[in-house]
Amino acid sequence: SSSITDLLSALCDCSLSGVSWKRRALGGTSKESFHRTLKKRAYGALLSKIFQDGSKGSASRPNATANTPARNKVIMMCFDLRVAGCCEEAEKLEEQLERLPEGASSGLKELEAVLELLVFLAGSAPPPPTSF
Amino acid sequence: ALANHRFITMASAANANLNAVRETMDVLLEISRLLNTGLDMESLSICVRLCEQGINPEALSAVIKELRRASESFKASENCTN
Repeated sequence: SSSITDLLSALCDCSLSGVSWKRRALGGTSKESFHRTLKKRAYGALLSKIFQDGSKGSASRPNATANTPARNKVIMMCFDLRVAGCCEEAEKLEEQLERLPEGASSGLKELEAVLELLVFLAGSAPPPPTSF
Repeated sequence: ALANHRFITMASAANANLNAVRETMDVLLEISRLLNTGLDMESLSICVRLCEQGINPEALSAVIKELRRASESFKASENCTN
């Protein structure tokens, strides 16, 4: 039951992993100052999105998938994967989606929102290295 | 005896809920991996809690992408100075 500020701070900490702070300290950049910079950018992104959503009037073009449930969006992604020839990945994704409990049985209050987040982040990371 | 029975019932309900959460998180992490979102279990858990606090998922995805951009440029500048 942490606050939003604590959770955003924890998210910034996750982004700091893998940085060598010993060398950084010699260059004058401390972990604390970069953490502050990350927090500033996180709040900037969050607030700009909130204000952007707030300024969207009724005149804005409606998004066709805005009201589509997140599960259906994942099913659409499975279809795209099949079309792209990645049938194995599509099958695995469908399998996991079937395993995902619905509603209160999942134990999470906002499962739909979490799935929606994964849809927004889909493909945002560099592809995993291929093993030879 | 009634209080004891109530306590046991509550404890087993909490335990069942914990197991459900654990199972759901495992499935979500696997979906996340298949969708190549770049989230690990720790960041996924934080995101779940932020969603439960009412943060809009689209806004949260913008935050995550912004944090990645910032830390990547920071790491890149580290490589340039070496």
